[in-house]
Amino acid sequence: MKKLITIACLLIAISSMAQQIERGTVLIKNGTVLTITQGVKENTDVLIKDGKISQIGKNLAAPAGAKVIDATGYHVMPGIIDAHSHLALDAVNEATTPVSAMVWEGDDLDPLDIAMYRAIAGGVTISHAMHGSANAIGGQCQTIKHRYGTVDPKVLMMEGAPRTIKFALGENPTRVHGNNGAGIVPNTRMGVEFVIRQAFSEGKEYMESWNKYNASKNQKGFRGAPPKYDLRMETIAAILRGEIIIHCHSYRADEIYMLLKVCKDFGIKRLVFQHVNEGFKVAPELAAQGAMASVFADWWAYKFEVYYSTAYNAAILTRNGVVTSINSDDAELTRHLYHEAAKTQKYGGLTDDEALSLITINPAKQLGIDNRVGSLEVGKDGDVVIFKGHPLSVYTVPAYTIIDGVIKFDREKDADDMRLYVDPKQTIDITDAVFEETLSHNHDECMKNAEFLLNVKFADQNR
Amino acid sequence: MKKLFSSVLLKKLLTVAVFCWPAVLFAQDELAPVSRTYAITNVNIIQAPGRKIDMGTVVMKDGLIVSVGKNVSIPADAIVIKADSMYVYAGFIDGLSRVGLTKPKDEERGPRPKDPGNPKPEEAGITPQNDVRVSLNPAEKSIEELRALGFTAAHVVPYGGMMPGNGSIILLSGKSADQMVLVNKSSFYSELSPARGVYPATVMGVMAKYRELYRQASLSRAYENAYASNRAGIQRPATDRVLESLYPVVDKRQPVLFKAERVVDAQRVLTLQNDLGFSLMLAELKEGWDIVNKIKAANAKVFLSLDLPEDKDKKDDKKKDESKKEEGKKDEAKKEEPKKEEAPKTATAEEKAALEKRKAEFMARYVGQAATFQKAGVKFGFSTLSAKSGNIQANLRRMIEAGLPEDAALASLTTAPAEMLGLSDRLGSVDNGKIANLVISDKPYFNEKAKVRYVFVEGTMYKFDVKDSKDSKDGKKNDSGSKDAGVKAEGEWSISTETPNGVEQSKLVIKKEGNTITGTMSGGSINPAVGIDNAKLDGNALTFTFTFNYGGSNITVEVAVKIEGDSFKGTSSVAEYGSFPTEGKRLPK
Amino acid sequence: MKKIIYLILFVCAGVAAKAQSPKGKYGTFALTNATIETVTKGTINNGTVIISNGKITYVGAATTAPAGAEVIDCKGKWIYPGFIDSGTNLGLSEVGSDQRTIDMNEIGEVIPQMQALTAVNPNSVLIPVTRVNGVTTVLTAPVGSMFPGTAALINLHGYTPDQMYANFKGVVVNFPSTGRRGGFDRRSDEDIKSASEKAMKKLNEVFDRAIQFHKLDSATKGKGVEYYPEMEAMLPVVRGERTILLEVNAAKDILEALTWVKERKLKNVVLTGCREGWRVAGDIAKAGLPVIAGPVLALPSREYDRYDKAYANPGLMKKAGVKVALRTSETENVRNLLFNAGFAAAYGLGREEALKAVTIVPAEIFGVSDKLGSIEVGKTANIVVSDGDPFETKTNIIHVFIDGWQIPMVSRHTQLYDEFLKREPGVNKSQK
Repeated sequence: MKKLITIACLLIAISSMAQQIERGTVLIKNGTVLTITQGVKENTDVLIKDGKISQIGKNLAAPAGAKVIDATGYHVMPGIIDAHSHLALDAVNEATTPVSAMVWEGDDLDPLDIAMYRAIAGGVTISHAMHGSANAIGGQCQTIKHRYGTVDPKVLMMEGAPRTIKFALGENPTRVHGNNGAGIVPNTRMGVEFVIRQAFSEGKEYMESWNKYNASKNQKGFRGAPPKYDLRMETIAAILRGEIIIHCHSYRADEIYMLLKVCKDFGIKRLVFQHVNEGFKVAPELAAQGAMASVFADWWAYKFEVYYSTAYNAAILTRNGVVTSINSDDAELTRHLYHEAAKTQKYGGLTDDEALSLITINPAKQLGIDNRVGSLEVGKDGDVVIFKGHPLSVYTVPAYTIIDGVIKFDREKDADDMRLYVDPKQTIDITDAVFEETLSHNHDECMKNAEFLLNVKFADQNR
Repeated sequence: MKKLFSSVLLKKLLTVAVFCWPAVLFAQDELAPVSRTYAITNVNIIQAPGRKIDMGTVVMKDGLIVSVGKNVSIPADAIVIKADSMYVYAGFIDGLSRVGLTKPKDEERGPRPKDPGNPKPEEAGITPQNDVRVSLNPAEKSIEELRALGFTAAHVVPYGGMMPGNGSIILLSGKSADQMVLVNKSSFYSELSPARGVYPATVMGVMAKYRELYRQASLSRAYENAYASNRAGIQRPATDRVLESLYPVVDKRQPVLFKAERVVDAQRVLTLQNDLGFSLMLAELKEGWDIVNKIKAANAKVFLSLDLPEDKDKKDDKKKDESKKEEGKKDEAKKEEPKKEEAPKTATAEEKAALEKRKAEFMARYVGQAATFQKAGVKFGFSTLSAKSGNIQANLRRMIEAGLPEDAALASLTTAPAEMLGLSDRLGSVDNGKIANLVISDKPYFNEKAKVRYVFVEGTMYKFDVKDSKDSKDGKKNDSGSKDAGVKAEGEWSISTETPNGVEQSKLVIKKEGNTITGTMSGGSINPAVGIDNAKLDGNALTFTFTFNYGGSNITVEVAVKIEGDSFKGTSSVAEYGSFPTEGKRLPK
Repeated sequence: MKKIIYLILFVCAGVAAKAQSPKGKYGTFALTNATIETVTKGTINNGTVIISNGKITYVGAATTAPAGAEVIDCKGKWIYPGFIDSGTNLGLSEVGSDQRTIDMNEIGEVIPQMQALTAVNPNSVLIPVTRVNGVTTVLTAPVGSMFPGTAALINLHGYTPDQMYANFKGVVVNFPSTGRRGGFDRRSDEDIKSASEKAMKKLNEVFDRAIQFHKLDSATKGKGVEYYPEMEAMLPVVRGERTILLEVNAAKDILEALTWVKERKLKNVVLTGCREGWRVAGDIAKAGLPVIAGPVLALPSREYDRYDKAYANPGLMKKAGVKVALRTSETENVRNLLFNAGFAAAYGLGREEALKAVTIVPAEIFGVSDKLGSIEVGKTANIVVSDGDPFETKTNIIHVFIDGWQIPMVSRHTQLYDEFLKREPGVNKSQK
């Protein structure tokens, strides 16, 4: 009887879970379809059925109950993917230790963040919710689908997306932990390398000791103690086993090269560099090792390690065969990644497909979800953004954003106030002076929650 | 470092100082009742939600309910309370609070920790071994406040970080911490509170640390068991105060009581529970309306917060309405009101109206949370952790207005928490054999005009003198008007404060010039005399502070008393040590 | 064979280096066969612009160039007046996180005498990066306190600040905010109120004192006043000879600023920022004050605001009748001015008005419309030649002229591109 109840409870739990991921059916008629991987198809329909793209072709019939969008004169492309984001997160940095592999941003999701809706209004359907760059080995990140409207953080997590983790090199980890910070290693780029090598080596030992224990514990007469369970080392071991993709905050060519070598030494293959402003200087090395790069379109000079940068970075990397994406790291920038991608046409003359790949299929590859999203192909997720105007034109305006076949943004029907929860205590005086200070980009969004550990105040925090 | 040192030193000195206050005057203990047997007669007995006896009698003896009914014989040794037409309920149970606990002062931030990634458990807010009895103080004013509302038992938890320690169920009466405790270590209390400046400094850090400790405890528990069964030839397991405290949780003998106010917090807690499998009590929930089914599916016990967002606008509106009405009466010709309404709606006005509407919707959700749970068939109790005691009755009424049936509200204060806390055999209803925890109000409890007249905690009577409503109304008026003028603070007073080590007796001299109040304190430990600071008289409430030197340390005492004619009553508080009852009498000239 | 290829490559490299001479070129240029958007006098197809001695000497349909002129065939190209960013910190900051390279925030609450122009680094690496994208002129401004200093309009070419100076200075005034600065601002309502009252008092005190100083100075013909640099800097302000750049953003603050300007009868005020200008656009229009708005690529100011309010703000203000110029508030990425204009255009301002907002409108606001802001004979030769609509993201700027100097189209970004597109050596050092 008791068992039965347990099973019933389980069923309720599962069904309530399944119910919460909403999947819809929608027919997009007669648009210019930018598939990314299979060319441009004029006057073509895209049918999303129960959350998946079921057909791309001409004169498709709408199934019963389907929503129909007339996309005549509009451009239809896959949902934009931001490989570097901190939206929908409560905390960004567990900055107390140079190796914080035990923490996970999945624990920290805030489904109520209005920034998610604003990103959707800019066509972004998936973002990589990352830990910050305070630590050489940071926390684990979480790929999220912008299923805005749910209050359940689990519903945001993209089911089946591989685990990822943040690493960070250069100025940020050294200033948080070094002599200007906690006064421990790393204080230099030498120290950063050491911290990573040390963690990998200890992780290897940890993994081996558990393997040994697990192999012998069921043998007759075995009476040993288990090794001490260590969540940090559990994560490192998973990296070494290839279960977690490293996404490494980096700027300078030398530090990028350093991590390439470290990963080679430990047999780690899944490696994506983030920001990687000087990636263009070691593009051949990146390409040779199959490491990928996720860059800003044109951010530079906000700190010394990005002073020798170029807006041609994405183009140089692409031309050298590095799988490259353009990311935002910023709640504002993420809203016009299509524009950021277009900058690579100005700076380096990338083709339309190459430019659009930077915000669709390439970031999907970097997050290990390219079998699911990143292009318009039958069988992929129904994540679509519809633009009025070509998405690479400065005059374009995102008109609809669809996630899992559900229309999440419709510019015509967009309400002003899209908050999910409202503070009933808030005094509303719309001509009062209480407003968010988001005047300019904070180039160091990556350092959120790390400031308290810093003695020095940085000018860019005041800008 | 220096600062840290001196604060520790101060604390020590303070402790010494307070315990050394000489008992100049012999405090007369409250007179003991002549009998511990009580009979409440002619009272409407609400034994439990839905079970009512009109005009019956409840008899208590030695802290237990011995008979309940219409035709109950009253023992000869009983003190009879004629509760004519009053209403008696089982004493209320608070699912989570810190009533009776002295709040530790925020420690000064010391120097930056050397290795913030590896703090001692205590620095990281991990003190699961803590016992609430250590910091429970029967003299805390909060006990009195909560009891006056009809609460007789509370699930109290220590202050701290992510794992502050063991919760205990206490009765809101008793002379010592041990006497108050009904069930010790009734729960493993947890919060998602990060540590300051050391790991875990974020919510995700807390979650990771929680998982790690839990899994470590499971492993070490298993190993200890193996070791206990056969010690020969294997390594001795090391003791670990943190992991050991987790064993009852791992063994599912002790539930985890988790504070979670916001909807995201509650779901993070449910995630932990899902990952680790402990039995869960979710408490102080404020935003649970969207996750009722999730909570239900997790089989978690839930205590909803009795704190509600204050409806400032409504209050203001009422005031405005009233003043408008009066204005209207006075000056009908003005007719400002209709003009305003007819004025063309600007975009700003429309926007504002839309925002106000959303705000009102959400206010309704907060206030209607309990009704939502009730409709979904989820049993719940209430908790008062962040509620102001002055708002609790009104908040209950707001919940009832929002659709919570009165019976359900009563159940959530009595039977439901008793059941959830495993105390149904002792608490929660007015039945023979149960602990004599009762609340008696002059009108049905949820009536706006109801006043609590008696509270019994384990048979100990607390009587509340309530002037009838007419009087109190007058009193209110007087408070802001003529009565104020009648309060005379200036003069010489004898002031006595009950400390744990006896009564401190001093002399207070108050002078008033215009609105400025000055004065001195002298006598007892206060030698030489010192001036008083921050003195304020608001109605009949007098507050001031004074600082005196004891053994080279300055000790600051905050005094808050209410003056009634030639006497006053209130408290004196010493930071870190708590507050003590204070009384004063005007000295004859 | 290999050697020959090397030789050819070497020669090519030499030629390339020569073509990319970092020096500017002065003289007479005839830009022919172009589509000319003059901004003030319509569009000329297949037209010619002649630049001589730093000035525009001809705009029209002529097909012949004067003798000695360098003819640049602009067939299929578009010509615009140099673009103006009406609010930056360019030249005052080199590396954002390094205070040692930042010269825009002096110490002091009332320091209008601090001159941005003094601290402009003509050799900043950021300047070429900016101008090769078509921005020829920027207002560079000090930041920080209530009166952080005097901003200056500069052309992005020259080796001394004076060579760059474009004949406009304005005193920056940060109007006291009555509000919270955001979620992190934990002050109590009372504290905020008293802080803003205190700031208002200070603001008025400065102006009152400046008027006293002016009266004294006028009465004594400048001889009766002591050395008082703050007041000396305020003199042209209270005399109406120098513009006040009044930074104000929240709706309520804007309204208060309008009242303040009216009460003080100030005639020389330009509002800057105005993030919530759209909320009170009618009031701004009624007051007749011009606005320098931006950045356009920004988030809405409140959680409950529609997502596109920052994009739409310039358009909404313009629609209400406000004169709007645009700014980026940037340093290293002032080059994104035209994209800010493009977004404003797409979200309601329209292309024509957006174009004006980065050309003639700022020229008028800064009182330099006789020299800048359009392609007209006699104006300063700040000219941009593009291969398409300059707001379009992929459009390239082909030529830039500033003060008649032909600017080398080289910057750190292009140089690094040239060096690293095909890095040599590649992965293997011994191979090409």
